[in-house]
Amino acid sequence: MTNIVTAVWAWGGRVSAAARDLVQSAGTLAAETGGELGVLALGTGAQIAADTLRAAGADVVLTCEEEALDTAPGEAGLAALVAGCEVLRPSLVLLPADSLGRDWAPRLGYRLGAGLVTEVTDWSLEEGRPVFQRLVFGGKAIATMTVAGGPAIATVRPGAGRRDEPPRAGRGEARDLGLAIEAWPSWPRLLRRQTEERQGPGLEEARAIVSGGRGLGGPEGFEPLGELALTLGGAVGASRAAVDEGWAPPTWQIGQTGKTVAPDLYVAVGISGASQHLVGCSRAKTIVAINRDPEAPIFDYARLGVVGDWREVVPALTVALKEMLAD
Amino acid sequence: MHLVVLLKRVLDPEIPQSAFSLDPERKEPTVLRHPFVLSVFDGNALELALRLRDARADARVTALTFGPRAAEDVLRKALALQVDEAVHLLGDENGLPAGRKARVLAAAIRRLPPADLVLCGRQAADWEAGQLGGMLAEALGCPCLPFVSGLSLAPGGFEAVQQVESGQAVYRLPGPAVLTVTNDPGNVLRPARIKDVMAARGRELTTIPLEELLPGTESDEARVETLDLRLPAPRRRAEILDGGGAAGTAALLARRLRELGAV
Ligand SMILES: Cc1cc2nc3c(=O)[nH]c(=O)nc-3n(C[C@H](O)[C@H](O)[C@H](O)COP(=O)(O)OP(=O)(O)OC[C@H]3O[C@@H](n4cnc5c(N)ncnc54)[C@H](O)[C@@H]3O)c2cc1C
Repeated sequence: MTNIVTAVWAWGGRVSAAARDLVQSAGTLAAETGGELGVLALGTGAQIAADTLRAAGADVVLTCEEEALDTAPGEAGLAALVAGCEVLRPSLVLLPADSLGRDWAPRLGYRLGAGLVTEVTDWSLEEGRPVFQRLVFGGKAIATMTVAGGPAIATVRPGAGRRDEPPRAGRGEARDLGLAIEAWPSWPRLLRRQTEERQGPGLEEARAIVSGGRGLGGPEGFEPLGELALTLGGAVGASRAAVDEGWAPPTWQIGQTGKTVAPDLYVAVGISGASQHLVGCSRAKTIVAINRDPEAPIFDYARLGVVGDWREVVPALTVALKEMLAD
Repeated sequence: MHLVVLLKRVLDPEIPQSAFSLDPERKEPTVLRHPFVLSVFDGNALELALRLRDARADARVTALTFGPRAAEDVLRKALALQVDEAVHLLGDENGLPAGRKARVLAAAIRRLPPADLVLCGRQAADWEAGQLGGMLAEALGCPCLPFVSGLSLAPGGFEAVQQVESGQAVYRLPGPAVLTVTNDPGNVLRPARIKDVMAARGRELTTIPLEELLPGTESDEARVETLDLRLPAPRRRAEILDGGGAAGTAALLARRLRELGAV
């Protein structure tokens, strides 16, 4: 019997698709072992999310709407998680591998004396023992890991462990965690958020993504890429090299330490194909590489390739697609 | 003001897949011939510390590494960038569980003048766990702010810019705290001057043998075990399209994309 706990950010009652996927796969697995899934829903308005979480498979929903979560989501969320784990006594804690899950996991691990496995790309239970897959060395190797002798915590990358079967509705008890959180003066206090405006779809939901790398040679290169993306109804992404050059904002970065995307079409322009980049787009259905170096490693990974200068290929492709889509 | 930056020496993460191989016995990469470098995000952390010191005359920066004798390289690199002090926690860090590693590093940091901030990379560019910063904050008993890309002085402490999915979040904190650092155009590590690289070779390092810190850092934590380490399955090479000239190739590509159902 494996009792699992997950925590999701549910501010205003909204739960991300990745978090819902996680609740669903965790709920199914807990039930298969005769265990239960407890979900901690955090943030003002979290109670509104209780129904969604139940339908996705939560047996117990513990909500926490303390104000401190708004000004110190890392510290206050950790306090709620520690309290939630004391109530639910899980043998496995699964957190989304997003900025909050990655923040909480090591600190919760330390407090619980748990074994932590991060950035998990797939997971299962074998004879009651959690078994995790994760990419290491920038995606150049795959490790299989387990935890013995105590509770396990994992941060789970989007889409990992996803089940295609419909969710199993949980028992669905919902209650307040009953924890008052006092913000400490030593805590980092949130002053403001700067949300980047983006035209068109976000990278996570885009069906088509055109990404630019160091091969663009400058920020101007992102303009023709934007036109191609617009033609495809998609979004623009970037490699880390392009971000470090200051040609694209960090929120555009795709890869191991950027976003994980799963579009139907991914066009990599002037990107060499470092493993750290590819792990962010490996779930794309079709990858196209445009690179002037025929030896670039990206051609060992992409489905279709064009060897040439993007300055010629990209505008020509925009024209060709416009013509084709107008037909 | 005292800033401590943790630096790790790692196998060069940019070596291509084709040159990368594994030692299945040790469950580690084969390291023959390959270069080692400073883990990239630790470089970003060091740059943030150096910028704070540029802004404040009385700030001091200590570079701290935990690793075997060869890890000295990253301290020399930091000394060439004019850090004030370099401390080598000498010993094999690979065998230690994550929580114990954090306790040992906390013990080393406590031997230094009190730190206002401890900075480290968001994850090391080898096993990529991203655990140490958070665990170290717990071991030191202070808060942690991860994914920081920018840092400045502010009344009563510091202002830090954190990278999140939707953009940035700006925090005010008094310290002490552990910050984990992520990349940004504003924190690319500066190059060292040749003459400073030469001068750094002769500089004195403070060495702390691991054995001195081990007693009292025992931890009763669950064990993480690596069952298997393998290479990803090779993919088929891309179908290279050539329609004779950009327009022809683009038309061919558009057609193939439609056939594949990608547009
Ligand atoms: C711990 C760690 C985490 C990382 N995380 C990420 C991550 O999340 N995302 C990420 O992207 N990277 C990440 N990296 C960096 C990664 O290792 C590579 O350095 C980076 O992806 C390289 O970016 P690039 O392909 O744009 O640049 P380069 O490798 O420099 O490639 C540029 C390419 O452009 C081509 N080119 C040049 N001119 C033209 C032209 N006119 N027309 C067509 N092609 C041209 C060149 O042939 C070359 O192949 C990480 C690295 C580490 C160590």
